[in-house]
Amino acid sequence: MDLDLTSDQELLQQTTARFIQSVCPLETVRALSDGDADAGPDYRRQAAELGWFAMLVPEDLGGGSVSGDGVLDAAIVAEERGRVLQPGLFVATNAVASGLVLDGTDEQRAKVLAALAAGEATATWAAAGPGGDWDVETGVGAEATAGGGYLLHGTKSFVQDAQTADWLLVTASGPSQFLVAAGTPGVSVRRLDGLDLTRRFSEVRFDHVELPASAMVGAFGGAHAAIERQLQVAAVLTVAESVGAMSHDFEIALDYAKARTAFGRPIGSFQAVKHLLADTSLLLETSKALSAAAARAVGSGGPEAAEVTSMAKAFVGDSALDLAQNCFQVFGGIGYTWEHDQHLYLRRLTVDAALYGEPAWHRERICRLHEL
Amino acid sequence: MSDDSTEIAEYRARARAWLEDNLERRAPGAAVKVRGTDHKSVEYIATQRPIQRRLFDAGYAGISWPRDYGGQGLSPAHERAFNEEAHPFALPDFGIAAGTTFGVCARTMLAHASPAYLSHHIPRILRGEELWVQFFSEPGAGSDLAGVTTRATRDGERWILNGSKVWSSGAYYADYGMCLARTDWDVPKHRGLTWFAVATDAPGVTVQPIREINGDTEFCQEFFDDVELSDDDVIGEVNHGWTVAQTMLVFERGAGNTSIMPRPSGRRKLAPDLVALARSAGREKDPEVRQLIARAHVNDYARAQLAARVAGLMRASKGLDAGVAAYVKLANGTYDPIRARIGLQVGRADALLWDAGDVDAMTASLNFLNGRVMSIAGGTNEVQRNGIGERVLGLPREPSFDTDRPFSEVVRNARSWSGRTS
Repeated sequence: MDLDLTSDQELLQQTTARFIQSVCPLETVRALSDGDADAGPDYRRQAAELGWFAMLVPEDLGGGSVSGDGVLDAAIVAEERGRVLQPGLFVATNAVASGLVLDGTDEQRAKVLAALAAGEATATWAAAGPGGDWDVETGVGAEATAGGGYLLHGTKSFVQDAQTADWLLVTASGPSQFLVAAGTPGVSVRRLDGLDLTRRFSEVRFDHVELPASAMVGAFGGAHAAIERQLQVAAVLTVAESVGAMSHDFEIALDYAKARTAFGRPIGSFQAVKHLLADTSLLLETSKALSAAAARAVGSGGPEAAEVTSMAKAFVGDSALDLAQNCFQVFGGIGYTWEHDQHLYLRRLTVDAALYGEPAWHRERICRLHEL
Repeated sequence: MSDDSTEIAEYRARARAWLEDNLERRAPGAAVKVRGTDHKSVEYIATQRPIQRRLFDAGYAGISWPRDYGGQGLSPAHERAFNEEAHPFALPDFGIAAGTTFGVCARTMLAHASPAYLSHHIPRILRGEELWVQFFSEPGAGSDLAGVTTRATRDGERWILNGSKVWSSGAYYADYGMCLARTDWDVPKHRGLTWFAVATDAPGVTVQPIREINGDTEFCQEFFDDVELSDDDVIGEVNHGWTVAQTMLVFERGAGNTSIMPRPSGRRKLAPDLVALARSAGREKDPEVRQLIARAHVNDYARAQLAARVAGLMRASKGLDAGVAAYVKLANGTYDPIRARIGLQVGRADALLWDAGDVDAMTASLNFLNGRVMSIAGGTNEVQRNGIGERVLGLPREPSFDTDRPFSEVVRNARSWSGRTS
């Protein structure tokens, strides 16, 4: 992570790591993955008590963070989560919270945002269009109805924990955004099988869903700023989770290279393996640097946040894929077995690289940001 | 600057006043020249020496160097303050030899040479009378630095130097080379090395420019034919040259990192050289070209962030292990070739054939030719990977077949080596 953490932030990092180790270590993650990857309400409650969902919420709504830089603190938590492949909502909830902070009505802030911070409700972001299209305005159309409400129709994909979330923040064409309560008529959630065993993603269909005016977040057709903020928060926290997962995968591969012997010596003493690990280490150190820079940029909310987010997401996405493959190569045959942890990390990192924009998507975004 | 103590603040103000009165301002927005387009003539270098003399006379040369040898004996904070104030001014321009003289050779000599040696050479360096380059690599030894075969043979009170050195940047206008020679062939290679001060105009020394693939002649090769040296020319102790070399390598790491990335100035622009190439070829809307430009841009940014992180790691470890510096070098050696190739992919025909005077196209082709310099010079990618693997990641060191046998035997058997002991 960032090298310049305050002592409070270091304490946050240690507390988070300890919580994860005691409540949901890798063995538990593995066991949950064989089932439906639900960490359960107790985990969510304890996480909420640690402030996991409060860091981007204003203090007057029960929010707050250790250092005052909510995004950086959330990135610290994210990295520890990624290190141990934690299931459940974190990135999406914080992205939703950041959007509600900008565009939420008083009622939405009091009812939903405050509840998220306290852990009394859960929320996820229905962002991607069908087929994983990260131009988040695609997939769902919204029209105003004669009665003053709105009608949503379409499909969203890659929605994490849609089956259990109390609220869905739906991004529709326009762009407009809507808070949709679980159980709203016309909303059907179809849980999909996935490469990543540690998280649950669904396709959510909106079949002429009627919503009251009070469900809209922000202006009709005017949700650009909130969407951009949500994308930045989600991308940066995903980058941080990836860096945590990359760190652990690299660590176990390095340990293996020191312990495994062949031809009378540790395999890491052979130059081919040593150099592969050195190149991979370079990717990891660069990714750590980018994660810190992006968290700080988005936290400060300055004009470069949009570009820095995309630069970090593009580089770390590609690096995560390479690192997972390289570690696989170091492990050799044992890395191809179900019982070994390597494939859990390979699966998660590969999905992370695509979530909230694949590297190529972010590279195109960088060109547009520079008006090329 | 608000962190200055009163003493530093006053020093800074005095320096600023002196600079305003005595030096010209640099041309604003002067771009860093692409390698191969900035040849410095001997005559040009001669015009810079009086400027260095002026700095010395005013007390602004060797600010943190010992007073005993002509320095000012002040703190690094004083030196930093002066360097910050001097940034907009035209300091003496000694090209590549500036780094080797002030950043590498002098600092190494200050750490290891005798007081008599330092009393002779350091003031001359500070006055601009002695420019130093490194006589380190040889045609037969680059990565294997301890495997040099330039020999210094004892002859009565003298040493007789024979051999050749290569890749000495700027030797054609330098006054001295810091020369690593073998003085004992009957011990393992690391234990028979000695450093000598060799004047470039000494009888028997021939300095020959090397024509590089980019057309420039910055690098040189030197030939030594029975060059006579004295004990006064020994730097450090006889046969203890490897210790001195370790010091020099640390100083070298902090010096030249001459990537082909354009130096950023002001608000971050999208790879300006690549965008210019794309626009002039009318390809800026081509999706593949856009991906390549953005990839290069992201890599440029990533490298800068990595460098900042490594600097932080080195500060935190207080220089205990500079192994992490290898990350920055490896990053340059890895991403420069990628960037160079992207330049060709974006420019396409324009980077292969161009009208005379098309600076963007010429730059792309020069960057392509220079693309592997950082992968090879100053420690190859492979050497950096070994360094990271062993010193940072803690992997076992390479097996070695030459470190505990007499060097003369190693050289004799090298070609027929098979590594098999049975």
